[in-house]
Amino acid sequence: MNSTNIGRRRLLGAGLAMASLPFLGSAPALAQQAGNIRMIWWGGDERARRTNAAIDLFKQANPGVTVESEFMGWDDYWARLATQVAGGNAPDFIQMDYRYMFEYARRGAIRPLDEFLGKELAIADFGQVNLDSCSVDGKLYGGNVGVNAFSVVFDGKAWDEAGVNAPTLGLSWDGFAEQCAAFTSANKRSRVYATADGSCQEGLFEVWLRTQGKALYNPDGTLGYDAADAGRWFAYWTEMRKAKSCVPADTQALYKNSPETSPIVTGSAVTDFAHSNQFESFQKLVQAELSVVGAPVQEGGKPGQYLKPSQMFSVSSTSKDPALAARMINFLVRAPEGARLLGLDRGVPASPEIREAIMPDLSETSRKVVELISSLTPHIGALPPSPPKGAGEINAVQIRISQEVGFEAVSPEQGGASLVDEAAAILKRA
Amino acid sequence: MTDAVHDMPGRASAHPRLNSVLRHTLLIAVCFVMIYPILWMLSGSLRPAAELFGGEAGLIPSQVTLQAYRDGWFGLQVNFGRFFVNSLIIAVLATVGNVLAASLVAYAFARLQFAGRKLWFALMLGTMMLPYHVTLIPQYVLFRELGWVNTWWPLILPKYFAVDAFFIFLMVQFFRGIPRELDEAARMDGCSPWRIYRKIILPLSLPVLATAAIFSFIWTWEDFFGPLIYISEMGNYTVQLGLRSFIDSSGTSSWNELFAMSILSLVPIFLIFLFFQRLLIEGIATTGMKR
Amino acid sequence: MAACDAINDSETKKGPVPEGWLKRAIQRNGAGYMFLAPWLIGFFCLTLGPALISLYLSFTNFDLLTAPEFVGAQNYVRMATADPKFTAAIKVTLLYVALSVPLKLAFALAIAMVLNRGMRGLPVYRAIFYLPSLLGTSVAIAVLWRQLFASDGLVNAMLAMVGIEGPSWISNPNYSLYTLVVLSVWQFGSPMIIFLAGLRQIPTDMYEAASLDGASPTRQFLRITLPLLSPVIFFNFVIQTIEAFKAFTPAFVISGGSGGPINSTLFYTLYLYQEAFSYFRMGYASALAWVLVIIIAIFTAFSFLTTKYWVHYDD
Repeated sequence: MNSTNIGRRRLLGAGLAMASLPFLGSAPALAQQAGNIRMIWWGGDERARRTNAAIDLFKQANPGVTVESEFMGWDDYWARLATQVAGGNAPDFIQMDYRYMFEYARRGAIRPLDEFLGKELAIADFGQVNLDSCSVDGKLYGGNVGVNAFSVVFDGKAWDEAGVNAPTLGLSWDGFAEQCAAFTSANKRSRVYATADGSCQEGLFEVWLRTQGKALYNPDGTLGYDAADAGRWFAYWTEMRKAKSCVPADTQALYKNSPETSPIVTGSAVTDFAHSNQFESFQKLVQAELSVVGAPVQEGGKPGQYLKPSQMFSVSSTSKDPALAARMINFLVRAPEGARLLGLDRGVPASPEIREAIMPDLSETSRKVVELISSLTPHIGALPPSPPKGAGEINAVQIRISQEVGFEAVSPEQGGASLVDEAAAILKRA
Repeated sequence: MTDAVHDMPGRASAHPRLNSVLRHTLLIAVCFVMIYPILWMLSGSLRPAAELFGGEAGLIPSQVTLQAYRDGWFGLQVNFGRFFVNSLIIAVLATVGNVLAASLVAYAFARLQFAGRKLWFALMLGTMMLPYHVTLIPQYVLFRELGWVNTWWPLILPKYFAVDAFFIFLMVQFFRGIPRELDEAARMDGCSPWRIYRKIILPLSLPVLATAAIFSFIWTWEDFFGPLIYISEMGNYTVQLGLRSFIDSSGTSSWNELFAMSILSLVPIFLIFLFFQRLLIEGIATTGMKR
Repeated sequence: MAACDAINDSETKKGPVPEGWLKRAIQRNGAGYMFLAPWLIGFFCLTLGPALISLYLSFTNFDLLTAPEFVGAQNYVRMATADPKFTAAIKVTLLYVALSVPLKLAFALAIAMVLNRGMRGLPVYRAIFYLPSLLGTSVAIAVLWRQLFASDGLVNAMLAMVGIEGPSWISNPNYSLYTLVVLSVWQFGSPMIIFLAGLRQIPTDMYEAASLDGASPTRQFLRITLPLLSPVIFFNFVIQTIEAFKAFTPAFVISGGSGGPINSTLFYTLYLYQEAFSYFRMGYASALAWVLVIIIAIFTAFSFLTTKYWVHYDD
């Protein structure tokens, strides 16, 4: 695996002539002059095919470089990565998530990449906003692999059949509620609702807060909203639930943050909320043709949406050859030949040039995502302050409290108050 | 006399035939409950992905396609057959280790006298109680120091040192059921503990050895966390790692392929079970069990 | 036990008489430790070190990515005084243990008794009953269980036939834990196999003699099967209890790692896993783990204390 193991491996190997079986680890890379990169990322088999093709091309373009890549699903990824990092065997090249980036960067597990900017990493055309979104405390910690926005996914035909206008960009929250109610009264199918219950969705909550000039977090890391705000959020969805406009609490509780558990996929709603890079995976599991637009807005309010990286490529702080890793990041996110192979699978490329380059290859479904990002771009607001330590835990608290409100264990106001209380306690502890 | 226990149908009822029909009906009903989810998985492997999660999907696919089996088998960098071979090698070696080491240690606990026996036994049970999540990182460091990372050693070698207390405890309970007169007589005749273990204990323990072998094989086959932490190269993947490669909860998953390969992955362990259960059931143990 | 010692002594006299305590000790204990050796090596080289390190980490604030700092008993104090999630996890886990262990064992024993009798197609039945256990920890379980226990699942479809409209069992906080209990009972294959192996060990002539004496099947079960099977019942009980306390995968797979809805399936080890790997508190997770060890150890020790009243060993 890495060079420190070679001595021991040889010791073991001397006694055991089982070279044909993989008892002795991968063959030590002999051509060291050009370097070796261990890469880890999460994804499924489809992403694996794209990524491996791009890696092969990178190896061809850099003779002598070896790349060992490993991948697994999101659920297993973080335990494995943490074990490797804590076990002193961190991979060089690490796929990072927006939230985990802050945790890893602030603990010094991944390194700043500013020194490679303009050299190995020629990503200036990403624009400042897409560089800032991959930065922690003013330093760049990752190459933006794909731009993401929070979005509304819906089955346009179902809305048409009900004779109600489907959600559109610029629809207000009140308008959204009205249209859902109209759908409900026109709807004839049992157990099918206009929309999923969005109260558990942190991304949607954030957009809603921002349209009112609030935020999830302040720049100093404190909570950017108060109990009344959270209470109003839960109350909005309680009204929706009462009007039978959104799915009941027990249906929403089936949702596990994964496409196959979402109400629109299980057939209980014709509208749902997701990050735009998940759109294709939704479409794959649904027979009806899906559409995607931006989240509802506040009339006369501020822009709620922003573009955040769906994921980024980072470099371990213990990597022996960070320059080579940076070169590989560049190849995958900015070089046309590499980025084209990755396609839209990880999000819409941040570089306009790359976006242009891959457009012709895109499927109809992918094109809708690019169009969404392009149509949202004029309406986006500033990047929110970076989430503090403990933000992931607060997300889980929001989900739990949304369920408590949904199952009517607490009132929306009580829910709002306890969300703020618990979040404050978590921030204090972290 | 060996087969007497399961040859006493008349014992329970005056109407054996009626009783038998009743029993079969009941068993078949229970069987259906048992295998319904597996039937669903089979049907899931044959139908289009867009039909999988919609509410109205029953057991019968609207159209049947074997596409998922082909895509699943060949769709990853390394074809699935390799994972089967890998898992088979690991499971066989681990099973041998488990049965061998656990039976030796269990014999010591069940039959031999030595200072500290109770203490060691308690510690042995204690090793079962600590959740593995918290020893993961220290163990990873240890195995990395030994040069075992990205090899199969962490999945196999520990079994030869009886680290799985379950098997020891299991065998201890069964060995204690073997009449003590048998080995005491042998001991009087001057048999060494090793000979008693080989000539009396092991032959009389075929059912439990078969049980241990079944569990050991199946659990190694199904083990996911060990391979996840220690194996990174796809050529070394086990079946379980291969299966998980189809699923990513944050994005696009290939559910049909997962179901298809899951069905296939059940075949070897099902066959192993069928094979070993014969040993288990036709075990000769009962012949020696008079007291 | 005394008889056994006497034999050892008599053997001792046969060979050359050893001198000094060391030789005597080797003579008395040598064979035992020879057989114990594989486990001893594994224990000291592979198991003990990582366990002790995790014990040390439980007194630190280890966050996976930076060096641990010693914080005294802080983690334990927090658990005892200021952690509602810990209390929730304990409750869920105890309820799960109390329900799933007896149900699973009773089911496994009943089926094993039925399958131990002579009837056509036994191997097939046995294999089919074991099939669910083969699925083990598969991610497919999550999907399958939703197909059964969601509001539009098979269970409700069957209830609808008798006019009952059931809730979404799996995602309703009042019922979700019970669907996991059903899952555990459904996978009753392992204890069933162990019971079958145990039943095989019961000498058949005992039943024959009892039948001749005119003992009813119930009486035979109570007087022969239960006592002779007691070591195996005890084994299954202890193992299943330990496993149920440590249960992780079912909740992880079915609740998507969240322990939801509303912490209703927050198993102890799932909480521990979240703390360790989602929230970067490996120190606290280690403390949780050692508290679990103590809880399980007390249960196990108590079980062992009761054995003299009901477990029948041949020695």
